[in-house]
Parts: sequence; C-alpha cells; structure tokens
Amino acid sequence: MDLTKKNRIRITNSFVILLTMALLLLMLFPFFVMLVSMLKTSKEIYHIPPYWLPKHPTLKNFSLVWNTFPLAAFFRNSLIIALGTVALNTFISVPAGYAVARLHFPGKKFILFAFLITQMFSPVVVVISLFKIIIKIHLIDTYLSVIIANAVFTTPFVIWMLNGYFSGIPKGIEDAARIDGCSRVGALLRVILPIAAPGLVTTIIYTFIYGWNDFIFSLSFLQTGNKYPLTMGLYQFVGRFAIQWEQLLAAAFLAILPVLILFFLVEKQLVSGLAGGAVKE
Amino acid sequence: MKKVFILFTLIALLGVTSTMLFANGQKDSGSEKSSVTFWLADYEGIDHDYVKEIEAAFEAENPQYDLELLVVDWNALNDKLTTSLAAGTPPDASIIGTRWILEYMDLGVIVPPQDYVSKSTFDNIAPGAMEAVVDGTLMGIPFAAGSRFLAINTSLTDKVPSTMEELEQYAIEATKDGKYGLIMPGGKHSELTDFAYYFYSAGGDFFDIGGKSTVNSAAGVKALEFMVKLANEDKVVQEGYLSQSRKQAQPIFMGGKAAYVMIGAWAQTEYDKMNADWDIKYAQIPPFAGNDPAPLIITDSIALFKDGKNLEGIGKFIDFLYQDKWKAPLDKQMGFPPVTITAAQRPEFQTPMYAAMAEANLNAKGWPLVTGWPETSSIMWDAIQKVELGQMSAQDALNEAAAAIDAL
Amino acid sequence: MSDTTLTLRNRKIKGEAALAYALLAPAVLLMLIFMVYPIFYVFVISLFKTNKLAKIQSFDGFKIYAELLSSKDTWIVIGRSMLWTVLGVTTKTIFGLIIALSLNVKYVGRKISRLLFIVPWASSIPISVMLWQWVVHSEFGLLNHTLRLIGVMNPPVWLGQAGTAFLSCMWVDIWLGIPFMALVFLAAMQAVPQTLYEAAEIDGASRSQKFKYVTLPGIAAILLVATLLSSLWTFNDFNTVYILTKGGPAGSTNILITYVYMNSFEWLKWQKASALSIFTFLILSTVSVLYARIYFKREEM
Repeated sequence: MDLTKKNRIRITNSFVILLTMALLLLMLFPFFVMLVSMLKTSKEIYHIPPYWLPKHPTLKNFSLVWNTFPLAAFFRNSLIIALGTVALNTFISVPAGYAVARLHFPGKKFILFAFLITQMFSPVVVVISLFKIIIKIHLIDTYLSVIIANAVFTTPFVIWMLNGYFSGIPKGIEDAARIDGCSRVGALLRVILPIAAPGLVTTIIYTFIYGWNDFIFSLSFLQTGNKYPLTMGLYQFVGRFAIQWEQLLAAAFLAILPVLILFFLVEKQLVSGLAGGAVKE
Repeated sequence: MKKVFILFTLIALLGVTSTMLFANGQKDSGSEKSSVTFWLADYEGIDHDYVKEIEAAFEAENPQYDLELLVVDWNALNDKLTTSLAAGTPPDASIIGTRWILEYMDLGVIVPPQDYVSKSTFDNIAPGAMEAVVDGTLMGIPFAAGSRFLAINTSLTDKVPSTMEELEQYAIEATKDGKYGLIMPGGKHSELTDFAYYFYSAGGDFFDIGGKSTVNSAAGVKALEFMVKLANEDKVVQEGYLSQSRKQAQPIFMGGKAAYVMIGAWAQTEYDKMNADWDIKYAQIPPFAGNDPAPLIITDSIALFKDGKNLEGIGKFIDFLYQDKWKAPLDKQMGFPPVTITAAQRPEFQTPMYAAMAEANLNAKGWPLVTGWPETSSIMWDAIQKVELGQMSAQDALNEAAAAIDAL
Repeated sequence: MSDTTLTLRNRKIKGEAALAYALLAPAVLLMLIFMVYPIFYVFVISLFKTNKLAKIQSFDGFKIYAELLSSKDTWIVIGRSMLWTVLGVTTKTIFGLIIALSLNVKYVGRKISRLLFIVPWASSIPISVMLWQWVVHSEFGLLNHTLRLIGVMNPPVWLGQAGTAFLSCMWVDIWLGIPFMALVFLAAMQAVPQTLYEAAEIDGASRSQKFKYVTLPGIAAILLVATLLSSLWTFNDFNTVYILTKGGPAGSTNILITYVYMNSFEWLKWQKASALSIFTFLILSTVSVLYARIYFKREEM
C-alpha cells in the first residue's frame, strides 16, 4: 500500500516535470532567442538560414550599446521613476486600503467599485487629457509627472490587494494594541503593517515593475533626453530605416536584468503576498 | 520580513526625495540665459557625441543662449510634436517630414522661417530642394532630401533593368538556389513607399488637380497588379513579404539573399555594417515601358513653431548649423546628400551611391502635399494587402480605397 | 442607560467614518484629478468637433456616436475585440491553472521552475513584443528555423496571413499574461489549508475530485478577481497588435484599442477616438458590473 503510493507519487512527479519542461520551453523560447542573438555579430544575425547558436560568440554588442548610449543615465532615470511611483503609491494606498478594510463607513462598496472601474481605462485613452493637466500644473518634463501618472494607474489594484491583506488580520490583534494605549494610527503602523508586510512587498513589487516598464507616459511627458528611462532609450535602437537587432537585444537584456534579480530575491514573498491579498477569510 | 519592509520604505523615501530634488534642481539652473530648443530626428548613423559637440560649440559662440538640442527618435517624433503642440509648448523648431507641412499650416502652428533665418543660409540651399513652398511662401527649411534608387547584389545578377518589365525578367532569372529576385516589404507600416515606387513608375499620381483620389487610375491598377504578379505568380519576392515592413525586409537583401531592392540613402551604411563578401551596385528605379522615370523623393524640413519661446535664437542656431563645417559631417553621418550647394561639392559626397541619387533627383517626385495623409495611406495599405491576399481584384480594391479617401 | 451606549456607539461610528474619509482623501483626490477628470474630458471631446490638436471647435451632439454605430467597420472591430478578449482570457486562465497546479506539486527543481515562469513578467511589454517579432521573422526568426530542423517543412508565415496573424498576436498577448495568472493561482492554491486535502483523501477522493471540490472553491475568489483584471488588461492591450502588425494584413488584426490609437495619435481624429474610447468604457463596465455582482454576493455569503 505504502509502496504503491510512493510509486504513484513518482509517476506523478515525472509527469509533472515533463509537463513543466514543455511549458517552460514555450514560455522561455523568446528569451533563449534573445540570449543567443545578443551574442551574434551583425553579419551572423542576418545570416540565412539563421544560426541556432552564435558561431563566434561576442560581447561586443554590450560594449557598443554601453558606449554609444547613455545607458547609465537611462538606468538612473528608470530607477527614479520606479521608486518614485512606489513611494507615492504606498503613501496614498496604505491609508486608503486600511480604511476600506477595517473601518465602517457609508459608501464603502461604492468606493471599492469606483476604484475597480478606473482599471478599465487604458493609458492610451486618457494620455492627451492627462497631458493637458500636466501642462497646467507646470509639471511637464519632470519625473514627478510620470510618477504621478504611474501611481494613478497602479493605485486601484494596490488598494484592492491591500484591502485583502488588511481584512485578513484578526480584529483581536488590533484591539489588543489599542487597549495597550496605541492610537489607531499607532496600531496601523506598529501592528497591522508589520503583519501585512508580505502583502505590502507584493504590491510594492507590482508598482515597481509598472514604473520601471512605463513607456507611454515617459514618451508623452518627458521632453529632454537626459530624463529618458530605459524603455524610451531602447526605442532608439529602432531607427527610421533599420533595427539594430543584436544591439537592441543586448540593451533589452541589460534592462530586464535588475527587475529579474529583484524578482528572484523576493519571489517567495511575492507568492505568499498574492495569496494574502486575494484569499481572505 | 520586517527588515525587507523597512528597507523598501527607506528606498522609496529616498526615491521620492531625489525625485523632488531632480525635478526642481533642473529648473532653477541657467535661468539667466534664454533657452532655445531644437528637436533633431534620430537619423540612422547620427553620432550623438557629435550632436553634443554642435550644442557646445553654438553655446560657446553665443553665450546668451542655452541650447537644448534633443535627439528624438522618428517613431516618437510625431506623437511628441502632437502632444506638445496640443498643449501649446512645442520646441522652437523641429525636423519634420516635409509632407506634414500642410497639416501644420492647416492648424496655423508654424511660421515662415525667412523672418528668422538669414538670407545667406537660404542662398546656399539647392533650389531643387525647396519643396515646402505653399502658395509662394517657403514654410520649411530643407534639411535632408534623398531620392530612392535600385540596389543590386552583383554576385547574383549583373543586369541593370531599364524598364519594370525587364526588372521582372531579371528577377525571375535571379530567383534560384534559395535566393530571391527582389525584396518587397508588404507588411503594413507608416510609409507607403513601396507602392509609390511602382505607382509613380507607371505614371500615376495620388490626386488630381481637384484633390480627388486617383489611386484607382489605370496606373494604380497596373502597378498593383504588377506587384501581385511578382509576389504570387512569379514568386520572385521573399516568402514572408506580407509580414515584413521595410525594417524587417531589407536586411534580407543586406544578408546577401536577394538580387534587387528599391532603397534609399541608408543603403551604403547598412551594407558596410555587414562586412559582406559580395559587391553592391546602384541604379535607377526603372519606369514601366513607355513611361518616364519618376523615382520617389523623400524630403525632411525644419519647421519653426509659432508657439516657440525663442524664434530669434533658433534662427541664429539654424544659421550656425547650416555652415558646411557643422552640417556636412552631419549629412555624412546620415548618409543623405547635402541640401546645401557648397557641401554637395565636397569630395566625400562623390561616391557611386550619391551619383545614383543625384541622377534620380532629376526626375524625382515627392509625396503629395495634402492633409490627412496618414489615414489616406492607411486606407491604401489595406486595399493593397487585400489584393495581395487574393481577397479582391486590384480594380475593385482601389476603387473602394479611392471612394474612402474622397469621403474623408 | 441604553440611550447613552447608543449615542456612544453612534459617536464611535461617526468618528470611524470621518477617519475613513480622511484616510481615503489622498487616494480619492488623486484619482479625481488625474483619472476621473481626464475621462470626463474624453467624453466632452466626443460631443464636439475638434481640430487636429484636440482643440474643441463646435458642438456636435451625439452625431459621431450615430455615425460610428452605423458603420460596419466599428462593429467588426468591436466583435474582434470581444473574440480577442474571450479567447485570450480563457487560454491565459487554463495555462495559468496548469502551471500553478504543476508548481504546487513537490519535486526537486520546483523552486527553479517557479522562478523561470515569472521571467516574462519582468520584461517591459513593448520590448517583449518586439522580441517576439524577431522570433517569428520568416527569414531570420529562430521559431521557423527550429520548426524546419525538427521536420516541419513549410512552417506558416505567422504574421503574413489573416488567420495566423490574428492567432499569433493573440498568442503573444496570452504569453504576456500567463505569468501573472500562474503566480496568482499558485498563491491562492498554497493558501488552501492542507487539512482539507487530507480530509478529502480519507474520504477516498480522486485527484480530479480533489481539484473540483477542494482546490477550485478554495481559489474561486481570486479566480474571479484575476480573470476580471485580465479581461480589462487583455481588452486594452494595445502594444501587441500595434507593434506586430499595425492591424494588418488588410485590417485583419485591428482591435478596438489599436483603432482608438490610430484615430487619435496617427490620424488626429480626436472626436472619433474619444467616442470609441467611450465604447470601450461601456463594454468594460458592463463586464465589471457583472463581475462585481458575483464578487459582492460571494462576500455577503
């Protein structure tokens, strides 16, 4: 009985491993293409039939893109925009998330639903009118304009997620803290937030990636080249007449790398955080 | 976990403070000088360090100005100009495709450059390049102009066609051993150049004098049927042509896999990049038998914007830029033959490719100057692809397109 | 006595509501200025004739709506958008579930595969789509080259035919959306208490029964929210089609959001683009209301 069960598990496992490998192949094939293409020379990359692997692997493309484009500045700008988005978003979403999750007030459902509705709009639809507002408040060509826009587009989802985490925390814990003399805000900061931290990390990652990968707002609001983030910088490899594929892919690899490392570092919290946000008791 | 959280908060706070500092700090600096803004399109080959050199040299010579010379990629340029014009904060001047001029005039956002740019600069520009003349007034300063021509891979064919019919014949001969006779970009993209090559070669015009679309004229049908024949019947065109815009199709030629391609000034730079083991040669895009040659010419201009903050300063800068000393190296980088008379005589512009372009210039025809061109060309693209997919006949599709264009 | 407790409770509720509004204020304010007002402005523009710089010229009423509703093109594009969304979200959900289920099994290397599955999420969407464009290139792309190597002699020109172009665009959009789905489902599955599975096992439940009676109900709430969000995002995915095909060949891949973009930034027809935007809003809010009904009903239970 025990043996058959073990066998069953073994069979399941090998089936699952095979399935996973097939799925991974499907999902990662483009990145495999990216890895081999960025190591090719321009002569190799335009060879027909294509080479599966580079004949003479070279890192020349990296030095080329690093020297011809201000990648360091692009990185700095992306970082400012992504972190700024995280900061602004956290600053406004945490109180709002706390309010909808733990306080009783008239119009709660309406507000939750209203936040959800705003997710329906694509940036494409509102970017022109947003642009006019940005001009009016004299924020054109500032990082802040891009940060605000990204924060606005991430806030609804984050409030929904936070609503999930905060309502999952037993009421008793907060009450205990308040009996110990904490104010509501004190309890939020000292008790609720630390408990909800894994969830918060998830929303922070989500916001960070959104800001890091922003394209349309930077394109519309930033006017000077020294403020361009990586996504816009990468666009410069797509010329009017030709695309420098091997260089574009090398630069794209560099752009993805930091997010990837971040992902790998916090992947565990990300998964448990997503669970806390959605599954609530 | 708690540590991670605290770390994140700290980083976030750092981020926001640095943002504020950057955002404000950059505004305060240099308020003494009057700023001048110029948007330079990111032509292939432009050396960004050289652009900075120009900027520094101009500021050194004119210390009263703070020049912002921004290189904007072509794909973003139109969007960015639209949004900035809509908000009333355009640059003082920008490179634009000459065919946008009429649209901008229609909106009343550009001013004639003569009031700000000196006469000596204009006198040095080839008269043939002055394309942006509307009702007798020049509305844009020619910046780059290049006719399209035929590039030939001499390892696959040596023949120079003098008619489209010959081109078809030679392309059929060259199609073997996995090589293609001719490259034809058939994937929808923002330029309608490839149809225009054949259409103009058949003596066609996009509009009649009254402004009605004539894409469904005999010339239009002839050109489109010819294209479809090349692709679907003769099969001399690359297999995936319908999925490939120009940027995806032309590397097939540069990779040595096709005999002919109709191309522009960037051909030599792209060819050089490949270190190819075959030789390239240049010729004219041939007309159909019985027609006159009419290669397409594409020109870019500098437009001065009415809402610009410093038109005086931008005029000074354009004078500065158009000296041979600065403009000729830029032309060389872009690969376009110079529009200025003195620079065109310099030895670096006497290569076979420039000779082919100079010859093409004699008969060249530009885009029609009309408003609503992007939508017009999108309608024509859809019609062309319908015929190529075999969904409609050329005559029916072009009739439908012409009706849709006239209804705009 | 009962009176005083009542007023105390009242006061407490009032105080709580006031605090709630104060905490919500920054978020609501930000949304009002930078989201609600722009949306309202989009609606206003749709009622006016505009010049090419989106400046309002003269009042036009609902004429543009009537015009759009009577045009065949609008309906074709809307229909295609719906098909795009339904097929896209369904496939994303199925793939997401399969991946999450396989990651929920314990085996050596599970951690690594979990990391690898989220890689596509780390890349920015325009870049990923361009990458795919390179992968499916009919001459240089490694996809068709690989297919030829393993014996598929005539692989399709993916973006060159009406049918395959639509399916290829859809696949890229699906590929973009899978990691989010998989990760969210995995998270939800891991939160299902292990004791429930053990109990089911004691009752002699088969694998599929366990999935049907334990896993599915356990992740139902998140399934609901995730598919709703995914529907909104899929419907609004503009990059994929715009970068891969620009709506071609012959308009066969044009969806509503790319049509909005072309009408606005390319053709500068702001009134038409705004009216089309309102259509997207109407369609998506219908979907959202349906979802919200189910969601809040569940919550009340």
